[in-house]
Amino acid sequence: MAYREKIAWMSLVGMAATLGLYFVWVRVAGDETAPLPNLGMMGAYAVAAVAWAAFYLLGGLALRLKDPAEARARPDERDIAIDRRSTQVAYFVLMGLMLYVGGFKPFQSQGWEIVNAAIASVVIAEVVRCIVAVLSYRRSAA
Amino acid sequence: MSGGAPIANQIRTLRFLAGEMSQAELGQKIGVTRQTIAAIEAGKYSPSLEAAFRIAEVFGRPLEDVFQWKGSAGS
Repeated sequence: MAYREKIAWMSLVGMAATLGLYFVWVRVAGDETAPLPNLGMMGAYAVAAVAWAAFYLLGGLALRLKDPAEARARPDERDIAIDRRSTQVAYFVLMGLMLYVGGFKPFQSQGWEIVNAAIASVVIAEVVRCIVAVLSYRRSAA
Repeated sequence: MSGGAPIANQIRTLRFLAGEMSQAELGQKIGVTRQTIAAIEAGKYSPSLEAAFRIAEVFGRPLEDVFQWKGSAGS
């Protein structure tokens, strides 16, 4: 498996384990309608974001230590082509979702509902980017 | 990325003739990863023109000895 494919997998698992859990918590027990700044919600998001960053840093370090030569190698033309395609798809997903959050959400929701919708847009776009990358690597794997 | 294009290649044979050169060695010589060479060899990724010329150069063969256009439906 290519090094950058492993990074994409790690990113997907990390997001599911941290920000995914955050959104589950928001649905089950979070109070999005409490008055701003809603420190409880902000604190939960901070914990999830820090956990995500830690997961990404430690996971990246583990992959780097496991195969230092592959980690040092510059992305080749296939890596660049896959990155370009996945980023392009994710960009349009993000743009569509942000237009929805900015254009429609203020009429339906308030406070942290809008903030969480914006956070979810970024997370969904990143998930799409990783999935397109993984699928592209799988499809062109020997 | 141009995967699945109807381009055949003789890289496996040429690696064998080059003293069983490994995919990693070939990748190192042209500046791509072993996985990319494996994908090119299996016909699942079409290399850029530059990479194709570099591969041909490594084996000391003209480009058409390494890659062959098989044609496609409607062309």
